[in-house]
Amino acid sequence: MATGNYGTIRPADPTVDDIEILYCYSPDREDLGSLTLQSLNPAEVLVPAMDPNVGTEVLGGLYTLKLPTQKFGSKGFYNVIIRPKQIRTQIINCGVLTDLPDIKGLVFDINTISVDDENRFENGNLVGYRIEYLDTLNPTVKLPNFYTIITSNNRALPITPASGGANTNDTWSLNDNSNTTFCTVTPASSPSVNPNAFPDIGQPQQRVIITNTFFDPVMLEIEMVEYDHETLAYALYSNQSKSLEDGIYTIYNFDNEIYKQYNLYEVKNQFTGKPLFEIREQKSIIDTTKGFDNVTDTTVS
Amino acid sequence: MEYIEVEINLENYTVRNIPESLISIDADGKTVVDTNSPLYYYDKIPDYKIDRDGKFILDTTQQKIPNTINVNVFLKQNYDDLGIFTDLNFTPKTPYDTSKPLDFNPMVDGRIPGYPVDFYYTAPITSTGLTLDNQLKGMSSLRINPQTNLPIYTPGLNVSRDKKNIFSGVMDENPQHIRYKIGSDINDITNTGVEYITYKNEFIKFENEFGDSNLGNKTMFTTNNGGWGQYNLSLAALVKEEELLGIVFKPEISSDVFINRGVADIFERHAILSELKTTQDIDTMRGGYISNE
Repeated sequence: MATGNYGTIRPADPTVDDIEILYCYSPDREDLGSLTLQSLNPAEVLVPAMDPNVGTEVLGGLYTLKLPTQKFGSKGFYNVIIRPKQIRTQIINCGVLTDLPDIKGLVFDINTISVDDENRFENGNLVGYRIEYLDTLNPTVKLPNFYTIITSNNRALPITPASGGANTNDTWSLNDNSNTTFCTVTPASSPSVNPNAFPDIGQPQQRVIITNTFFDPVMLEIEMVEYDHETLAYALYSNQSKSLEDGIYTIYNFDNEIYKQYNLYEVKNQFTGKPLFEIREQKSIIDTTKGFDNVTDTTVS
Repeated sequence: MEYIEVEINLENYTVRNIPESLISIDADGKTVVDTNSPLYYYDKIPDYKIDRDGKFILDTTQQKIPNTINVNVFLKQNYDDLGIFTDLNFTPKTPYDTSKPLDFNPMVDGRIPGYPVDFYYTAPITSTGLTLDNQLKGMSSLRINPQTNLPIYTPGLNVSRDKKNIFSGVMDENPQHIRYKIGSDINDITNTGVEYITYKNEFIKFENEFGDSNLGNKTMFTTNNGGWGQYNLSLAALVKEEELLGIVFKPEISSDVFINRGVADIFERHAILSELKTTQDIDTMRGGYISNE
């Protein structure tokens, strides 16, 4: 007898092998309509934080996303999606267990799974995974709003049913010496108001997407900018120099490195010589000889 | 999916340093910077980490270290309504009382330790009524009469999912009606379950509370399983797992026993209301449950 339902949120601790990372870039928000998603290798860009007390133990929850500047060095918007890894395969049979003919399940061929993901199909490892289905007629189309959850899996072999049925491939017996795994899924029971209506759990040869549920997907919108409070403070509070010889006005950052440079000059009436404007124009080519240490070193001309 | 917005200033990754090795003094005494040197990264974001001399920083295997923009994320896993529980055995107070007090009314007296479950049984109540033939569709065999294209009803065919314990199926059929039972004990089909009789040539129309009309064959249902008995009543301890208290709900410092007595007769609600003496009792009496501390 159930005593109540409980739920909570736990810090997830998936391995990078359980994760997929996708990203796209657009220089401004107006371009968000035409996105081309690209993949990142989680093993290269995602690092879990380790427990400070037990150095070999993943802390859980906290991960550092190390985005390479080679791909993330432009001003604009990067959308990064971190989601559970997907495994694509095919249902080879929708059968029943010989000892439990009321329980229908899905059978997958472990040999068709990539070597990296084979261990996920060992007995019991698929529990909690979500199955999403592709259209049987057009496998490039995913069926919307249709999924089941795996409640158990065990290697199984097809056998001749006790009743002597002709189709031996629909009855399975759990057997660890096989290359196929039998998965029970939920929902897989008929509604009490219509016992003959068995829910759709898929069809043989149907393509499916199997996804772990180890963590909730996350999407980050990373806006790369060129200015923040710190850079504005350079203009207000940092060191500056104005070269009286050539009118180059230099703003330094707090490390006394050249941050911005401007040409200062006057626009005069060409006939009367009367000053009309004082101009401050940003230099596109930095005069790197105007380093703060250089201009304050009076021993150098 | 959680959506997180992050703003990162590229200036923090832009090189503003000019290595001293690239700065020299020419013959005229002027400062010169070699901007064509591969060590010159001013105003650029390098792909690999460099030091202040413009040289690549190498790892322990002498490989260049990719320059990265680091963002911390927190991955979470939500799990809800998993029904975590322990199927504890009910340990009754023994020995059981053997004589039921004459004035014992479980609706008013509630749970009393030492009383066996049969003290709570009530006399069978026969219920009968009129309905549509919705249940009949699940009683047919999987075959169809090729002449009439109608489903075939086979007397004695058990369509229950739990065929070892439950019988659901057609009992008999004649030109006037089909008689079938749903949810009968496999060992006592006659006296258990709900009996339906659908009349083939009589039709009725029901209108629901939204004004929608449903037309179907007239169907009478009868059951004598009303009240509480061995098939629908048991005594068990409802125990929350202490180690999980406080995670979702506040710990409840009380030893409540909840008894869902349902509604057995027309006096049930009045009997419950008679127990509500304070506003606190109203809070305790939620959803038809009585809390006896």
